[in-house]
Amino acid sequence: MEKIKDFKLHIIAFVLVVISEFIGLRSFQVGPGTALLLPMLYALIIGMFLGPKFLKIVNEEEMSLASTYIGITVLMLTAKMGFNIGPNIEVIASSGLPLVLQELGNFGTIFFALPVAVLLGLDREAIGATFSIAREGSLAIIGDVYGLDTPEGQGVMGVYICGTLFGAIYFGLMAGFLPSILPLHPYALAMACGTGSASMMSASSGALAATFPAMETEIIAFAAASNLLTSATGLYASLFVGLPMTNKLYEIVKGRKAKKAEEAA
Amino acid sequence: MELAKQVRILLISSVITLIGNWIFTYRAGNPVNPLQAVLGVLILLGVVVIGLTLKNLVPVKLPAIAYISLTGIILSLPWTPGSAFFLEHTSKVQFLALCTPILAYAGISIGKDIGSFAKLGPKIIVIALLVFTGTFVGSAVIAEVLLRATGVI
Repeated sequence: MEKIKDFKLHIIAFVLVVISEFIGLRSFQVGPGTALLLPMLYALIIGMFLGPKFLKIVNEEEMSLASTYIGITVLMLTAKMGFNIGPNIEVIASSGLPLVLQELGNFGTIFFALPVAVLLGLDREAIGATFSIAREGSLAIIGDVYGLDTPEGQGVMGVYICGTLFGAIYFGLMAGFLPSILPLHPYALAMACGTGSASMMSASSGALAATFPAMETEIIAFAAASNLLTSATGLYASLFVGLPMTNKLYEIVKGRKAKKAEEAA
Repeated sequence: MELAKQVRILLISSVITLIGNWIFTYRAGNPVNPLQAVLGVLILLGVVVIGLTLKNLVPVKLPAIAYISLTGIILSLPWTPGSAFFLEHTSKVQFLALCTPILAYAGISIGKDIGSFAKLGPKIIVIALLVFTGTFVGSAVIAEVLLRATGVI
């Protein structure tokens, strides 16, 4: 019985992949930048409508089986990421201090987003949602450490889905808009474009380059190098620093919230 | 889950990836058919199996992804014997083509959590925007400080 369900799921995934790849990459203009729609986005959206609430093609049991497959298939992607890093090791090693250390900016977001998440009433979902920028590597980390079926898994899936749905558009808008309100150098902003997501990076660096056309080459180079570094170091940084730090901060914030509630009562 | 079952699922998803990769590369104007990419997929699969096995063998408690990623890096370093061979084949499997099947399973599974997602919905969007903004601004500020300190700008 399990084998049949299994088979049906893979067939559905196969059909989704074929449809999505045939639709292919699409790009459109958002403000000064270009937003890119990727086949994976279509697969996600069509897949969401197959459940009992909509098209009734899959049932509850098959849906939970599918969630265990995410954690396994994402391992292939992790292997592929490794193969992208090896050949570039010398570029990465010689990238200079600013490029390497700006990665730490990713941790800033924990202090900023985690307390808000707890205030909004999230429990351990907050950890998955805020420990990183929630791209594929983050799914792999949470899937491996907690499982994607847990509260932490729901948190990371939530932000991952938001990122897939409108991350590129939002990054494009942000990169086009921020230079006008923050006194930051275009090179610094270019480095910030490298988030480890190809679609977010191309949308934001494209918008930035359109804002500073004279520095286009440098902007694209810094963004691409930073993106490469993030995909190289980001996995380890999130796993060994980001996630433990988020856990600690969660305990502190949660403790404080409980205390406040007690005082109020 | 035992290794044999994981490998079975990986083999099936590899077939899906090969077809997806074919269509993806065809659309990009440089078609790579499943026969040309099958070795690349098998190398990736092998790396995953090595990573999962190392996780069970090595007494240091590290998640499987750390071993998998590290194995991939080591096999593709310029001074690793045979790295050109590994890279030639794995480069035929597009990163984006590997993402699509994962997101297909993700899409299917989301329906299950639709209740909790609806509850999380507006909140998770606010948090996602905070995470994106925080990462972007945080990285830009640190880069600005260091670029100034090192005299680049």
